[in-house]
Amino acid sequence: MHAPLENAYINLRGINVVLGGKPVLENVELQVRRGEFLCVIGPSGCGKTTLLRLAAGLVNPTAGKVSFAGDELSGPRRDIAVVFQDYGDALLPWRTAYGNVSIVLETLGVARAERPDRIHQVLARVGLAKHADKYPQQLSGGMQQRLQIARCLAQGPRVWLMDEPFGALDAITRQALQDEILQIMSDGSTVLFVTHDLEEAIYLGDRVVAMGVNPGHIARTLDVPLPRPRDRQATFEHPEFLRLRRTLLDFIKEAEA
Amino acid sequence: MRPGRLYWLGASVLFTAALLAVWQLASDFRLVSPVFMPSPLRAWNALVFNFTEGVLGQRVLLTLQHMFFGWLLASAAGVAIGALIGISPFARTYLAPSLEFFRPLPASAVFPVAIAFIGLSENMVLFVIAFGALWPTLLSTINGFATIKPRLDEFARLIGLSRWQYIMQIALPNALPDILAGMRLSLTIALILSVTGEILSGSPGLGHWILLQARGFRSPDLFAGVLLFGVIGYASSQLVALLEARLLRWRGDSFGRM
Amino acid sequence: MTGRAFIPRNWRGFIFPVAAILVIEVAMRTIGVESQSLARPSEILRAAIGALADGSMLTATFQTLVSAFGGLIIGGGIGLVLGILMAMFPPLYWIAEVPFETLRPIPSIALLPLVLLIFGLGFAMEITLVAKTALWPVFFLTLTSVRGVKRRLIEFSSLIRMGLLERMAKIILPAALPGIFLGFRIAMGAALIVAVTVEIAANPLGLGYAMMLAQERLQPALMFAYLFWIGIVGWIFNALTVLLQKRCFAPRQSGRAAT
Repeated sequence: MHAPLENAYINLRGINVVLGGKPVLENVELQVRRGEFLCVIGPSGCGKTTLLRLAAGLVNPTAGKVSFAGDELSGPRRDIAVVFQDYGDALLPWRTAYGNVSIVLETLGVARAERPDRIHQVLARVGLAKHADKYPQQLSGGMQQRLQIARCLAQGPRVWLMDEPFGALDAITRQALQDEILQIMSDGSTVLFVTHDLEEAIYLGDRVVAMGVNPGHIARTLDVPLPRPRDRQATFEHPEFLRLRRTLLDFIKEAEA
Repeated sequence: MRPGRLYWLGASVLFTAALLAVWQLASDFRLVSPVFMPSPLRAWNALVFNFTEGVLGQRVLLTLQHMFFGWLLASAAGVAIGALIGISPFARTYLAPSLEFFRPLPASAVFPVAIAFIGLSENMVLFVIAFGALWPTLLSTINGFATIKPRLDEFARLIGLSRWQYIMQIALPNALPDILAGMRLSLTIALILSVTGEILSGSPGLGHWILLQARGFRSPDLFAGVLLFGVIGYASSQLVALLEARLLRWRGDSFGRM
Repeated sequence: MTGRAFIPRNWRGFIFPVAAILVIEVAMRTIGVESQSLARPSEILRAAIGALADGSMLTATFQTLVSAFGGLIIGGGIGLVLGILMAMFPPLYWIAEVPFETLRPIPSIALLPLVLLIFGLGFAMEITLVAKTALWPVFFLTLTSVRGVKRRLIEFSSLIRMGLLERMAKIILPAALPGIFLGFRIAMGAALIVAVTVEIAANPLGLGYAMMLAQERLQPALMFAYLFWIGIVGWIFNALTVLLQKRCFAPRQSGRAAT
């Protein structure tokens, strides 16, 4: 099912990516509509991370075009925010939480006088208001990931690209952050969310794209017609959720066979 | 502080005192020839005497001057050159491997070459100190600038840092632990080269002073001088440790005390 | 980093030095330099071959290596024993801490006059200084390695009721071995450096002395030949030990980054 081109915020057309002689992505067509929360799931090696990095402008396709809001994407842009899975490596260990958010504002050229308010606002939004003076390694894994999210909020992004952001966290923290993300993105942000956890994908997304391997390609796309805002208990017991879950599980089993 | 640490520190001090006592007794009973090993008391007296009435203070100052001057010069050059090389992928591939060859080379091997060009003089010693102390800082700086986590690189690209911003905000802080480690090694080398240079060239300083005491079989003065070297060595490593503590505050918790 | 894939990275590192040597050779021939402190690369090579042929270089190398390894074995041996003892019985370390930390910062070269006084010139004095230098890295790395043996392993050994000696031999030493090996590797590098330094400063034997002699006799080619040879020897031994480390320890380093 293709979205009309005018509404496609992120548009990947005819994408082929060959890295080191090996085909990583083949004939990928993907559109993310504006304001949509799109989840991409797939087994390891399906190229979902490469997909995300294409959308970020970090890597160029061997063939095909990547465009953002109608313009061809030639490199990274400040209005596209990326949240990495390995938050520890993405944060600056020599700056405090405050400093880590600050560097984004410094780069954007925000006046010094304006920075403190914006930084505190963004830290408060992710619940780190009291930890502004701590260094990343003094924060727990969940807090570090929140810090990364706060840093992205400071960019004022039009699009969020999230690469298995909760994969390195324990189950309880993961659930808390999933709900926080839903809350933050409830203002209509456009999100491309990569994960291997299919329940997470259904819970968070408006649409789920399932990828296959050898080489990476898009196998199926499913709409998630669950009501928003998503309540955890209600959603996980919703018949539609269960149906989607069953569909995807079957699909994965077939793919592995 | 670990509970009971103070107690053990006290015990260690007592143990040291006991060792000193044994040493004193061994000297008094002539168990070892006083030519080789003076009693701690005589060594201490020699230390005090030479400082107050002799030239020891001057000599120490000279050695320290050579050491620090050479070290500062070498560190500045090492960081500047190292940064330039470390940041450039071209330089890293073509230049850095040759430089790595010099890592196991004893810095003192430069002495004969320097003597050949400059002659046996104080300037020669200064040159060797600066040149020898350059390498650890240079090599560590290159390494520090060369090993930046790819994630941080990507982050810098994503938010569009300018080249200068990248160097100051990402590359330099990232390299700082390595740079300081290199500078610490450089200081050690500067000290060693100072002493070696003094022994070789006879230029005045603590090292040469100790040699004179050895030639004159004045063991108390000799031991006094050696002790001073211990103090210098200790003080200089504390200096760098202080520098590290202030500049690398952010490492605090993960590199805690032993 | 993109680029020609058919030249492996390490080859490229050779381009600059080889080119530099050629440039220097040509430049010096063209300018016609005759000096008592400079020498053409070709002359250096010739001098090196000459010294190898008449055995002088090998003798000097042998002398330096004897001092370096003699000191390494003695100092390293003491450091190893002390490190194990103090790791197994922490109070020993806590008591010895003050004298240790007082003696440690004294640079070996500062002890040269003292050792000279006691032993005079020759092997004994050099070996002693090397031993003092080699002791510390081995001691500290042994100490931290033995201390650092994972608690789970030690708990396991008490759960199956292993005796002390058996625990030492089968659990603690094998687990601490990579660290101990690293200590010896560092000590070996330091040993070679100190040996050459002592020879340059005072001792009339070995590679350092050969270099000083060449300089005094105004034989720059020979002097530089020894300089490069010293570097090569250092490099060879470092490379050998790294190779040894990889062969002995690499298979068991599951997931842990190599040094």
